[in-house]
Amino acid sequence: MTIGSDEAAAMLADVDSVVAKVKQSRIYRSAALIIMLWGAINLARDGLIALAPGWFGPRWFLVDAIGIAGTIVVLSRGATVGARPPMRTLAAFLLFYAFGWIWANLIGDFGPRQQMAFWPTLFLFGYAVAGLWFGWAFTAIGLGLTALIVAAYFWSGAAFSLSMAVITGGGFILCGLWMRRA
Amino acid sequence: MDGPDEIIHQPIRLRVMAALTACDPSEEGLDFTRLKGLTGATDGNLGAHLDHLTRAGYVEVSKAFVARRPRTTVKASPQGRAAFARHVAFLKAIIAGM
Repeated sequence: MTIGSDEAAAMLADVDSVVAKVKQSRIYRSAALIIMLWGAINLARDGLIALAPGWFGPRWFLVDAIGIAGTIVVLSRGATVGARPPMRTLAAFLLFYAFGWIWANLIGDFGPRQQMAFWPTLFLFGYAVAGLWFGWAFTAIGLGLTALIVAAYFWSGAAFSLSMAVITGGGFILCGLWMRRA
Repeated sequence: MDGPDEIIHQPIRLRVMAALTACDPSEEGLDFTRLKGLTGATDGNLGAHLDHLTRAGYVEVSKAFVARRPRTTVKASPQGRAAFARHVAFLKAIIAGM
């Protein structure tokens, strides 16, 4: 069998393309689990706030803490045996939180409505940017859900909390399911 | 320089081995549907190529029922990983003009 360098190069390009698809698929599946987890967390949190506005406040962060713990579990399970903990991803989460906390509480002094709109859009912005490296599905989810949140912020009136439960809860879960198939 | 691996050299089988060896050995492998999407092969075509690779000892095929649905999972064997690595090295050597 004789193989020329052009044919060899084409075969290696084919191999690289398949390997890239497998890696992207693995990233999508892990991210889809995290998105669905946060969908459930958001649905519970914003649903509670819609039913009982007193839930807004420090207790919000208790619910988020469950989400953060769940995210760490998902990332750890997705890691290969013997791999180092996903410290870079966790550091990115913490940096986003710190940046958001400074703006929401120190500089911006946001009210409940602004806080409820700000936090998910901050992390969705991260998704939109991550999509430039990890795949268009991240960008589509980031921009699509941000547009819905902005629309709810301006036009949902008294039903804002309920709208947020639907968008950041149901929307995240649907996006996660879609991402698993992308 | 070793020659090409006649079994892996076929384009669909090359894609199958590329996809399977991209998975960590500790993982369970890839399911048939996912492999079909990655290789662009039809059901029958992929099945025939997997038979070929199984007979060569390059992949391990396992079948199970998940939520009452049959699920076929394919994993690269250590022998298959070594053969694929040799074949890729062979292709790279051709490009390098060795």
